[in-house]
Amino acid sequence: MDIWFFIITMALFAGVFIFLGYIGYRKTKTAEDYFVAGRTMGALLIAFSYGATFISAVALIGFSGIASVYGHSILWLAFLNVFVGIFIAFVFYGLRTRKMGLSLKAMTLPELLGNRFNSVKLQQISGLIIGVFMVAYTSAVFLAIASLFQVTFGIPYWICVVVFTLIVGVYLIFGGLYAVMYTHAVQAIVMLVGMIILTVGIYAMLGGIGPAHEAAAALTPEMLKSIGSPAATQAPNGLTSMPPFLSQPFMMVLTLIFGVGIGVLAQPQLITRYLTAKDDKALRRAIPYGGVFILLMTFTAFSIGPLCNVLMYQNNIPYPVKETAGVMVANPDAVVPTIINQLFPSWFILIFLFAILAAAMSTAAALFHTAGASLGRDVYEKSSKKKISPERSIFITRIATFVIVIATLIITLNPLDVVAYMTAFFFGLMACTFLAPYTLMLYWKKTNRFGVWVGMLGGFVFTMAWYILIYFKTAPKIIGSPLIGDYVINMLDPIFIGLPLSFLLTILFSLIRKQDKEEEALMKKSFENI
Amino acid sequence: MMNLILGMDMGVFLAWIGTLLATVLCIVYGLYYQFIKKSEKKQQPESSKEEEKKQQGDH
Repeated sequence: MDIWFFIITMALFAGVFIFLGYIGYRKTKTAEDYFVAGRTMGALLIAFSYGATFISAVALIGFSGIASVYGHSILWLAFLNVFVGIFIAFVFYGLRTRKMGLSLKAMTLPELLGNRFNSVKLQQISGLIIGVFMVAYTSAVFLAIASLFQVTFGIPYWICVVVFTLIVGVYLIFGGLYAVMYTHAVQAIVMLVGMIILTVGIYAMLGGIGPAHEAAAALTPEMLKSIGSPAATQAPNGLTSMPPFLSQPFMMVLTLIFGVGIGVLAQPQLITRYLTAKDDKALRRAIPYGGVFILLMTFTAFSIGPLCNVLMYQNNIPYPVKETAGVMVANPDAVVPTIINQLFPSWFILIFLFAILAAAMSTAAALFHTAGASLGRDVYEKSSKKKISPERSIFITRIATFVIVIATLIITLNPLDVVAYMTAFFFGLMACTFLAPYTLMLYWKKTNRFGVWVGMLGGFVFTMAWYILIYFKTAPKIIGSPLIGDYVINMLDPIFIGLPLSFLLTILFSLIRKQDKEEEALMKKSFENI
Repeated sequence: MMNLILGMDMGVFLAWIGTLLATVLCIVYGLYYQFIKKSEKKQQPESSKEEEKKQQGDH
């Protein structure tokens, strides 16, 4: 591909975002503008921003690659993404979160917890957990996209990292959440165009939905082996069938589906989107837009993954590989890029790369913003004894975000193993740490500070221990071999145990100790509009 | 050979159709609140934006 054409297109792309950042900057007058876009957002912007934050480049490329290994059984994750990630999230969490956030004047998840349970420490500690782990997660997002651009265009990795991080950093630091949400709308449209063309193109090449799925079902393990596809062993019942119950592939699919599908409810960067809504109606009207957006992202990505095996088999394209510790292993992340490079016209390669870049940038911007708010507003600002003006609050968060952008840049340029582990921990950790206190805070009036502390820290410690000592993906790399060798147990995502444990601890310790008078008053205040 | 629906076995087909139905549920919910359900106007608490503006005015 012509590098100059790429550079000009990239400059235009960046120009649009910087311009939207400037509009955001002009509109940002108060702390509420900076942190929750003035609580003025309408349905379409909320839906696009939520969807673009939710769906990262990893979700599009990584998960379609995973689907090429485990087959269409991964579609259960698409079901949870729409049903739990949109419907349950907005109806049962979004509406109450918005009302409670308004009553308690909270603009972040830690602030919501802190104000609801009258505890600055609770706000600071939850802000610290979110801020630190988000830096690692954001770094992984940039690492993935910079590697893809390096391979496709031959641009040095460090240039990709610096350019992408700085573009996001500039419009985000100055424009706040207004800029993030406006750019999300543009990025979401680019993502939609890319995924729709890709999906229609692949199904058209294979003759439509039925014939395409039948062709995938007809691929035998021998055929899959002939192209080097790991699906030969990982999809034992075929690409369009569920794997045998409790088999290793079944456990792998199960852990992915629930880890990501349920974990989405407690992602702080997504919870912020509820707080931006101008009214309940905006949130309710965002549900259909969000549902259709997620359908067109995950349902399409997970559907085409297995079909890539058919295209590779029919066109004699070997399954992509990469070198790991001197051994060539299958590389699912490269499956969709390989198919696009080999079978699609060059104009679409550019559209798809920008769709992936948009997915990465949108997620990264939301993560930067949430991490900056967590460390600036929730941790630093709350440790100050002086009363802080709204202007100073924005200034502090801009500085915190700047520090986070620079830290992410340094980490991405020098990737460490620990960052990869922290990224792997992220979804499960957020769910096991925050989902129980957050859910009970919204629905159970007896929830108190003591219960929330124990539930939150209990979930956090358990999840960290599970990932370090037991989980099959992370424990062998950290401690050599997992403490529990039985694969059915060690393949379980911590969410299966950590989440019920965190709920149990929060309920039990809330019952043991009663709310004090201040907490009770805050509880009444937080429920007065619900 | 087991029976396939649109080339998928029952477990996968349920996920496939379930995703589409979940999207339809989202659309129906949105349409219901847009066109059928009457909006309930409740007293909203003052957002901190108004407070901030007042605070700025005091300075």
